[in-house]
Amino acid sequence: MNFFNRFRRSPLLKSASDTIFALSSAYITLETKLGLKSTGRSAISLKAVDGMYFLTMKEDIRNFLNASRTDFDLTYRILTDTYGYLWIIIEGKNMEDILAGMTAVGDIIYERGFADNLLATVFQFISGTLDATPGSQYLIYNYKRNNFYPFVPLGQKNRDTEQEMKILSAVDQELRFEKDMSNWYPLWDVPL
Amino acid sequence: MSSLKPAWQKRDTGLTVRMIFSFAILTVLYLVFLSVLSYLGIGYIPIILIASAMILAQWYFSDKIVLWSAKAKIVSREEEKDLHEMIERIVARNNLPKPKIAIVNTAMPNAFATGRGQKSSVVAVTRGLIDILDEEELEGVIAHELTHIKNRDALVLTLASLFSTVAWYLMQFGFYGGLYGGGYGYSGRDRNGGGAMLIILLVAMLTWIVSFLIIRAISRYREFAADRGSAQMTGRPVKLANALLKISGNMKRIPNKDLREVEGLNAFFIVPALSGSTIGNLFSTHPPVEKRVQKLMEMEASMS
Repeated sequence: MNFFNRFRRSPLLKSASDTIFALSSAYITLETKLGLKSTGRSAISLKAVDGMYFLTMKEDIRNFLNASRTDFDLTYRILTDTYGYLWIIIEGKNMEDILAGMTAVGDIIYERGFADNLLATVFQFISGTLDATPGSQYLIYNYKRNNFYPFVPLGQKNRDTEQEMKILSAVDQELRFEKDMSNWYPLWDVPL
Repeated sequence: MSSLKPAWQKRDTGLTVRMIFSFAILTVLYLVFLSVLSYLGIGYIPIILIASAMILAQWYFSDKIVLWSAKAKIVSREEEKDLHEMIERIVARNNLPKPKIAIVNTAMPNAFATGRGQKSSVVAVTRGLIDILDEEELEGVIAHELTHIKNRDALVLTLASLFSTVAWYLMQFGFYGGLYGGGYGYSGRDRNGGGAMLIILLVAMLTWIVSFLIIRAISRYREFAADRGSAQMTGRPVKLANALLKISGNMKRIPNKDLREVEGLNAFFIVPALSGSTIGNLFSTHPPVEKRVQKLMEMEASMS
């Protein structure tokens, strides 16, 4: 990434937290319209790299989450997946706390110069109604596109596009949504 | 005839080309026939009468022509029990007369409705459509076609195209009249006749162009109306939206490849090509699938 691209990115991350915070009202709409409940689990993922700076950042995130445990009522896990992506998984009871914790972690990553490594933030939902599909459903926030899209996995490598369309139509007024469906890339086996 | 056929003309050349070809041949036959009559020195009024008789005949036999040109075969209740029962359920719920049911033996997913009135109507679906859609999606598509029949869209479009047909004939007569008027017009009276012919020609051309565009606008509006009708009949607009995505091949656009695999390819920095030119929209009879899906999803959202 060259010098000028770095400059162009900086307002992007500011708008990233704006976009993500819109979820603080949109999740209520999902519950009232589709009966989707937040599981309280969400995760931020970024490409892991070798080196001291990255390890220090990881430690700082750990320290931050440990210190804010009393303020935010959050628990967390940090792991690396088979693709070489670092996942910081946060679990909490209150959506505002989760969003605040997520954006704070995003800020740390940005301050340490790893904004370009950011991939996505994932929010997990589950159907509250009895007749619906039992599995987890996700809203994926893509940092490069600064918008959300739905992802409902069905079995191994299939997607419930119908349910994804429903999610789209339920909250596309409140959230910045990815209009081009060819960018709705799945995240199989999200370690949530 | 109104067909549920959005942006995938590129793939479904067979059916469409065959239909257009049949009607084009019919039109050429008319013109040849009328030209021969004109050449034989038969007056304008008999020619106009014969032409209207032919238009009426085409209207009367339109369903047979459509079915024949699409190679659609009417199927009995014994042959296609499931399809018959499904359509019976929809028409019974919505108090409509049951149409005849036809099947086109092609893998291309498509459906169309034809017929002069509610009683003599036919709903045709292709094998491909039955294969790729699930039951509720197929219901959505059939309800769309039933709405075309209920709204008498074939009649509306035929009436609308009558203007353009009449304008077209006038244009032909005006063209020949203008040629002869110009060639032999030595006297002042003939020169005036040539001028009048020129005006008729221009007006007829203008009428034809405008009616051509209006027919397409009406047709696009009717597609939205049929989508809405289908949503009301089945109560599941999302199913029709899904069917449209499947038929148009847009479903394939939702990727299966993991975000983590494509991330390195910088796929997201490519500026998307400008989509949907307005000129294209102006001339097409069907609105773009994205717009129809969007409207259907708005209906779905307002229902829940």
